Formats: sequence, structure tokens, C-alpha cells
Amino acid sequence: MRAVLSTPIIETVDLRKVFRSPRRQPGALGALRTLFTREYEERVAVSNVSVSIQPGELVGYIGPNGAGKSTTIKMLTGILVPTSGELRVAGVVPFEHRSQNARNIGVVFGQRSQLYWDLPLVESFELLRAIYTVPRDRYRRNLDEFVALLEMEDFLRTPVRQLSLGQRMRGDFAAALLHDPKIVYLDEPTIGLDVVAKEAIRAFIARINAERETTIVLTTHDLADVERLCRRIVLIDRGALIYDGDVERIKSEYGRYRTLVVHFAQPVASPSLTGAELVAHDGTTARLRFDRNRERADLLIRQASERYPVEDVSIEEPDLESIIRRIYREGYERQHEEAPT
Amino acid sequence: MPIAAILPYWEFAKKAFAREVTYRFEVFTSVGSLVLRIYLLRCLWTALYAQNAAPLNLPLHAMITYATVALLMSLVLEIDGTRLIREKLREGTIATDLMKPISLPFYFFSDGAGRTLLYGVLVVPTLLCALLLVHIDVPAPRALGVFALSFLIAYCVNFLLNFCMNAIAFWTLETFALQLIVRWVSDLLSGQIIPLTLFPGVVGRLLFALPFAAIYSTPLLIYVGIVSPRQWGTALAVQLLWLAAFSLLAGAIWRAASRRIVVQGG
Repeated sequence: MRAVLSTPIIETVDLRKVFRSPRRQPGALGALRTLFTREYEERVAVSNVSVSIQPGELVGYIGPNGAGKSTTIKMLTGILVPTSGELRVAGVVPFEHRSQNARNIGVVFGQRSQLYWDLPLVESFELLRAIYTVPRDRYRRNLDEFVALLEMEDFLRTPVRQLSLGQRMRGDFAAALLHDPKIVYLDEPTIGLDVVAKEAIRAFIARINAERETTIVLTTHDLADVERLCRRIVLIDRGALIYDGDVERIKSEYGRYRTLVVHFAQPVASPSLTGAELVAHDGTTARLRFDRNRERADLLIRQASERYPVEDVSIEEPDLESIIRRIYREGYERQHEEAPT
Repeated sequence: MPIAAILPYWEFAKKAFAREVTYRFEVFTSVGSLVLRIYLLRCLWTALYAQNAAPLNLPLHAMITYATVALLMSLVLEIDGTRLIREKLREGTIATDLMKPISLPFYFFSDGAGRTLLYGVLVVPTLLCALLLVHIDVPAPRALGVFALSFLIAYCVNFLLNFCMNAIAFWTLETFALQLIVRWVSDLLSGQIIPLTLFPGVVGRLLFALPFAAIYSTPLLIYVGIVSPRQWGTALAVQLLWLAAFSLLAGAIWRAASRRIVVQGG
């Protein structure tokens, strides 16, 4: 259990959402029957998720497609009513006080813009100023800061529909933060961006979190975002919470296995080392997996150079991506019990 | 209500106005087609009156006035501000609007009002063009004032009717066919094309009892003087009654709709 430092800014208890949809009958006649029958099928999108997030945290909310991430975010923003469970964001039950909740939050969707399509970027900002009733001087200060940080000067007067994806994303970030929200939900904020743009956005997120102490919930498929930004991740799969804790902990639990990559001067037939398992081999390069709790890398390297004509060696640490992929495949619990702590 | 609370809606209206101005071509074509329709209706009613005995209280010049003012009103009344609901539901962008501290019905109303304002301004050139082709009567200033008031109520009733129609998209996602039917029925039954006084007996009385009459018929009959100054109070009261009824209905539909929002996609 995580120690309670202060009142959590986001708290869910057994949060659950079940969607009901009419059962579809196959075929043309079936389609007609769908119109008239009242048979429903239920789909559990979020199943008893309990999470609490402290003010100022930057949490990665991770899960495969259809795991229930967006459904959770929609409930947190108040546009979807939970089927059961409790939910409180900055002291407000979002779906009961949607408007009040809206003042506390900012939202960025990578795949959907909240900017006004036909208007120049800056006019969207002005509209948002009116919507959130941001005082003029604060608006001016925030806008100047964001324009400088996100380098938006050149396209401030361009209609949004003419902006590139990277420019639009920067605009969306500024739009979400103009009213100084306490909490920001980021849904795939770097999707489709090139490496440079991604890094610019990540640096911006880190800065906002550090300087403004904004609580940030980051949903993404790009685990490099999470590795770069988050100390804590919440993992869900098929609607259920499967891990909630430090990124470092999950890495050390799952990161028991490292890979020793050995390049040989001449092709070697079936190389083997005591204490390591051959996972890939193409003649001159071999990849061997070993448990870092049992074997020492330097001894393995010495062993390799005594047996074979070694030209070069390197050690690969497992990245979050491969760890998470394994958790989805094998489940968290089983692995958790095996892992020595 | 404090100024700050109204400010966002004022901005929405301004932005809608600015957006609509960018579609200049559409604006000009709608004015052109309207002038043409005014002329065609004049020809039609003149021909009809030549063949038949004129109704006692609606001589030809009054009929042409009625038809012309009805078309000018349609310039404003045919703007469907709540069409946005359907578009936003289909594109899923209603989600981001719901994440803002605004009342969506008022947002739709102010967006519609902003667009209306542009078309309201266009009434003037359209009227001037029309006056080259037809002659219309101008009532006494007081009748004109009551007409304006009645038209304002009609605008709100029309907005709420459209709102209810479009809000059905929350359940069906698509309401186009239904809306087309309602549009045809209301065009016919609201007195936009044929004054309701021309419908005989029971049918006529029934039409006056329907809400559609509050949209075109009441302001128009006040304009041409068939509703006399003595009847103004009653006519406006009936309109207000429909306004109240539709407000309640729209409120109920909206509450039910916001409860069942399931955003498409995303």
C-alpha cells in the first residue's frame, strides 16, 4: 500500500463501467430483427479499478487497445457516467458537476483537436479565455510563456486546418493549459509526431509538471514517453488493474534478464556459455540471456573470450516496452510471485 | 446573470458570425434564390387570384405581402443552429465540448444566433431587391413592433423545435429523414407557404392549435392585420405558451441525453 502523503487529487474506488448494446443478428433479416428485438449484450469496459493519485504526480496510464483507458478518462472528465463505484476529482464527482470539474481539468487528445477548425489559432485561445473566464493579465502571461516554450510565434495567426500535426499538437497543449488546470489528461499526445517534435512535447510536459505542479495522467502507447516522464505507472488490461507502482520497481522485477550480445571475429557454430541461454545466433553474432541476480556480466564476458574469438561485446537492458509486452502476454501476478524482492 | 457568465456565449456568436462570412458564395446564392422565389410566388398568387374569388380578409396585395415577408423570415428561421449537435455526435467532437465549463444548449443557441445575425443583416438587401419586383404593404408602427416581438418568440420556438429534433440523434445518431419530414410538415402547417386562414373548417382550427402556427403564422397574420390589435394579447400568449412547453420538453430531452452520452469512437 502506498503511504498517504496528502489528500489524493484523483481517487477511484471500485470504478466500473459496463456498456450495453443491442445484440446484432447476422444477415439482412437479422438486421431487421435487431431493430425490433430488445436483446442486449453487456461488455465490461472498466472493472473495479481503484486508484489514487496525489497532487503533482505524473502517472502513466498504460494498457493495450480496448483495455479501458479511454473509458476511464471519460469518466474522470465527467462525460461518461460510471455503472458503479466511487470517483472524485479535486473533491468533485465529475459526472454530477461536469461544469465545475471542467474548470479543474485540461485535456489533450492526440487524435482529436479541441481547437476551432476554421479560426486562426490565436482566436481559439481567445475563445477559451472567455469560456474559462481567465483574467486578461493571467491569460497574457500564460500565452506569452506557451508561445515562447512551444515556438508558436510563426503560426499563431494561421487557421487551424492549415497547421501541420506538430503545430496543431503544440496549439492543443497551450489550449489545454491556458486556464491553469490542476489536472491534465493527456491521451496519446505524441502519436504521429516525428522524433524531434516528440522530444519537444515531452520536455514541455516535464516542465509543466515540475514548475506548475500540475497533476498529469498520461495515456500512451509509446512507452518511451512513459520512460522519459513517469515515475509511476498504472497498468490495466481487459478493464482490470494489473499493476500500480513505480516504473523502476517493475523494471527491476522484470528486468532480471539481461542480454549479452557477442560479436565474433569468425563464424562460430552453436556458441554456449555456462549460466546464459542462447536466444539468437547468426554465425558471427550471438545473443545470450542471463539472470542478473545469479550471474555476473564480467565473468560471462571473460568466459566468452576464453572460449571464442570475441571481437566486441555489449549488454542490453530490458526496456519498458518489452517488459510490458511480456506482462500483457503472461499476466502480472504469476511473474510477481516468482520474482525475488 | 453576471457579465462573465454571458461572455463565452457572446464570443461563440461572434465567432459563428465570422465563420459564416467566410462562406461568401453560399450567402450570396441564398439571397439570389430567395429573390427568385419571391418573384415566382408573386406570379403564382396573381394567377390563382385571377381564377378565383379573393378571400374577404386577404386581397391579392396582402397575400403577396404575406408571401414575401414569409420568405424573408425564412432567411433567418431556416438556419438550424442545433445542426451542430448532429455533426458533433457523428464526429465525436461533442466529447471535447462537454469537457468545457459551458452549457451546450446555450452554446448551440449562441452559435445559431451568430449565424442568424449575418442572415438578419442580409434581409435588407434582399428586401430592396424584392421591392423592385413586388410591392409589399407596411403596417402601422405599433403593428410592426408587435410583429417584431412575435417574430422573436417564433425564432425561439423554432430553435427549440430544431433542438429537440437534433437531440434525438443522441439515441439514433442520425435524424436526417425524420428532420426532412418534420421540415416539410412544418413548412406546410406553419403557414409559411399557405396562410392557415385559407384552410377550411376543422382542418383550419386544428392547424391553429398546433405549435407550428406559432412559428410563421402568428407573426405573419399580425403583420398583414388579420390578427387585429384586440387579438394581439391572445396571439402572443399562445406563442409564449408554446415557448414554455418546448422549453420544458427540450430541457427534459437534454437531461436524458446528457445521461446517456456514449461518444462514438475515441
